[in-house]
Amino acid sequence: MTFAQRDLAVAPASVPANTGPVRIRARGLSKEFEIAGKRLTAVDRVDLDIRKGEFVSLLGPSGCGKSTVLNMIAGLIPASSGTIELDGKPLGAGHFSSKLGYVFQRDTTIPWRTVKKNVGFGLELAGVDRASRDRRVNEAIQQARLNGFENAFPGMLSGGMRQRVSLMRALVMEPDILLMDEPFGALDAHTKTDMHRLLLEIWERQHQTVIFVTHDLAEALTLSDRIILLSARPGRLKEEFVVDFKRPRDAVSLRETPEYAELFSRVWRSLGEEMSKVGA
Amino acid sequence: MMGSRATVVAAQLAIILLTLAVWQWAFDLKPYADWLVPGLLDPYFISKPSEIWTQLLRLACLTNPTGDWLLGQDGAVMACLAQNDNNLWIATLVTLTNTLWGFAIGVASGYIVGLLLGQSTFLSRVFEPFLVALNSIPRIALVPIVVMMFGIGDTSKIVTAWLLVFFLVFFNTFEGARQVDQTLVSMSRLLQAKDWQVTSKIIIPSTLTWVFASLTPAISFALIGVIVGEFIGARQGLGRIMMEAQARGQSSVMMATVIVLMTIGVILALGVKSMQTYLLRWQNTGH
Repeated sequence: MTFAQRDLAVAPASVPANTGPVRIRARGLSKEFEIAGKRLTAVDRVDLDIRKGEFVSLLGPSGCGKSTVLNMIAGLIPASSGTIELDGKPLGAGHFSSKLGYVFQRDTTIPWRTVKKNVGFGLELAGVDRASRDRRVNEAIQQARLNGFENAFPGMLSGGMRQRVSLMRALVMEPDILLMDEPFGALDAHTKTDMHRLLLEIWERQHQTVIFVTHDLAEALTLSDRIILLSARPGRLKEEFVVDFKRPRDAVSLRETPEYAELFSRVWRSLGEEMSKVGA
Repeated sequence: MMGSRATVVAAQLAIILLTLAVWQWAFDLKPYADWLVPGLLDPYFISKPSEIWTQLLRLACLTNPTGDWLLGQDGAVMACLAQNDNNLWIATLVTLTNTLWGFAIGVASGYIVGLLLGQSTFLSRVFEPFLVALNSIPRIALVPIVVMMFGIGDTSKIVTAWLLVFFLVFFNTFEGARQVDQTLVSMSRLLQAKDWQVTSKIIIPSTLTWVFASLTPAISFALIGVIVGEFIGARQGLGRIMMEAQARGQSSVMMATVIVLMTIGVILALGVKSMQTYLLRWQNTGH
């Protein structure tokens, strides 16, 4: 048993349940698409309550509509039916709340802007003056360990570094709520773990409300307070798991603990049932 | 064969020397080996490197018609230049200026129209058939009309160059505006970007990359447009020198002018290329 494991085992492996105010509330959220003349239900009557400061993962097999749920919350696509509220006020498509930060799966660094100007993009749009922009951007760059690359263009960076730039571009705006759509999905295992460490480090200090979409169970367990499992298409709420591992967590040693293994296999079975439905 | 840089340069030099040698002397072999030397090598058509060089110096007023240097003689060059209001220097300047104007106006207007139409589905649907129809006219066929409309001065040359450059840049920009990465647009909107900010910070920079790619052909097109315009009707310019020389059967003058045009073309293309490399430096990923 390593030191970290003992440490975790001794402490009661529980975190008091989050009883903060609900920040995002979705009721009966559905999305239908029409593809080649056929109606297709992507998301079917999903209810969500995401509390302040909670890190929630939406987990499910590919194509289950988890990204669609996130994009409806972000306002990127309209819901076919149902409601979404942010702090009790309805959110509609095409309206982007400044309280929300969003990180895409795809590389969304702007290729003709340097790292510094990419990270400062949102601040620049908001008309933040140069001095405070530089200060906040520099802090973010330090935090993401991108120093030395301030003036590099994204094309010169690795995929992981580019994703750190995108993450910091969202975080530098200090959003209360962070929506992340499989942000590390395209990265190799090692880089992914680095990103988990960085995200945990930031989140454990700032406790943003996070909705994190992923199909990677290990990732969901490492990061979240709660995992919401969606069924294979049409995406419905299937099961919910509370992830009460002690914090601060270490992305690597956490995975060697028995609690982790136990919860992993419980969620895995449930996820496996959905995977088999899509033949994945 | 890999070939070091030195071998490549050596091979290139060999090609140049061989070409010049054939050009200079091959026709002299005709009386001895008629079957070996094609008639097109007749200096009546293609002149000879030595004559072209002499002609070039004479046209530039660096030597007099008998081949004596004017450079050392007080005021001789000036006197020679003053005799001809379309001497090689003036003609080069006129052709170059008109090319740059046609290029600049063509690029600017092509870009603006391309951006407007590329961004508006309505406008692009309305104008697309017209633009496709206009684009399928061989533009050179319009030159006589342009010269008739705008006269034999500079304007008709600039308009001709513009005609060639405009469509090239327009279609590139139009395509670029339609291929803007929509995820970058969504990303900006999520960061509260206003419409004008999306245009100025995402759409314009990303279409510019398409425009830069069209600048090298555009500058060549502009030069072609100006020269053809000068062929049809002009008082000044390199095209005018060529037409006069053709009428008099002076192949050395025509060839000397072609050499000047080639030099202008190379310099303009290199200039545009280096500008392009600087502006698109972010594309040099180093991978």
